[in-house]
Amino acid sequence: MNRDKIIQLINKIFVDKFELDSQDLTPEKKIFEDLELDSLDIVDLITGLQHTFQIPLRDNKDLLQIRTLQDVYDLVEKIIAEHPEVIEKLEK
Amino acid sequence: MLTILVFISMAISIALYSAVVLIPYLCILFLPKDLREHCMRSFIVLNLGRAVIHLGLRPFIRIDYRDEAGTNTPPGIYVCNHRAGTDAFLMALFGVEAVQIVNGWPMKLPFFGYNARLAGYLDSTKIPLEEYPKLFKSLIDNNVNVIAFPEGTRSGSRNMNSFHSGIFRLAMELGIPVYPCCIAGNERFPDRSFHFHKSKGIIVKRLPPIMPETYRNFPSAFVFKKRVHDMIQQENQRLDAELDSR
Repeated sequence: MNRDKIIQLINKIFVDKFELDSQDLTPEKKIFEDLELDSLDIVDLITGLQHTFQIPLRDNKDLLQIRTLQDVYDLVEKIIAEHPEVIEKLEK
Repeated sequence: MLTILVFISMAISIALYSAVVLIPYLCILFLPKDLREHCMRSFIVLNLGRAVIHLGLRPFIRIDYRDEAGTNTPPGIYVCNHRAGTDAFLMALFGVEAVQIVNGWPMKLPFFGYNARLAGYLDSTKIPLEEYPKLFKSLIDNNVNVIAFPEGTRSGSRNMNSFHSGIFRLAMELGIPVYPCCIAGNERFPDRSFHFHKSKGIIVKRLPPIMPETYRNFPSAFVFKKRVHDMIQQENQRLDAELDSR
């Protein structure tokens, strides 16, 4: 799975779950300040990411470092790279 | 000068009201907790708010209340924008038994904080997140409304800060009606430094409730909070324009 596909799927979560305009979803956008999510909304984001990518996220300590959309893209890409079986599942 | 006059007027209204209700108030203190909280909310605190509005504030500013929710409305969560310190008193205009969710410090105020604690107001800094569903269910089952200011702090202007989603998450989880409420005109009455400035009036408006069957299909609490936020913001823009045209 290439990075563009990962970004596309993550952006789809933001559009579907939070009804954000896809035009607003640029990598430098700050999750809390610009997109106006709060700490509880992050729970919905994690659920969406887990569901879409079938990756374990809830106990991931790197989640605490997320500030921008770019951070979300990087984190998901890193976890997918660590779990090759996920790519196979997603490509099926 | 106006600030001093309003503070004196508010102090006199509170002192007069306290003198009138002193005996029932003392009796209420000896009631069992549940009954005491009910009496505090539906009588002492509600009428304290009314006394401050009618005797303390109205001599200096016109205050209008508009209700689009109708009568015999079910208990629910009142979601209000938060511009100024007078918002807490203006909640008495709804005329319903309610608790307000407050952010720590108001509970520590000498007079108001003590009565807020007696009325069972909720201190968001002290209640663990996992206790909220049970607490809210118990309040709503007992016909007690919950008043929340999801901006978290006073804006001090006509701008609205973004909402926190916790209250909307609870409403969705428990299926509680949500009443969007608008407060316009008091952004400088008082300002963030508690100075009162001349204003063309205050309008408080309760919009029709958003029932569970409406928000059930929202994809997240975030979407719910954004819809309510936009609804209040749009209505407040109309109310601000009306106040400007006076």
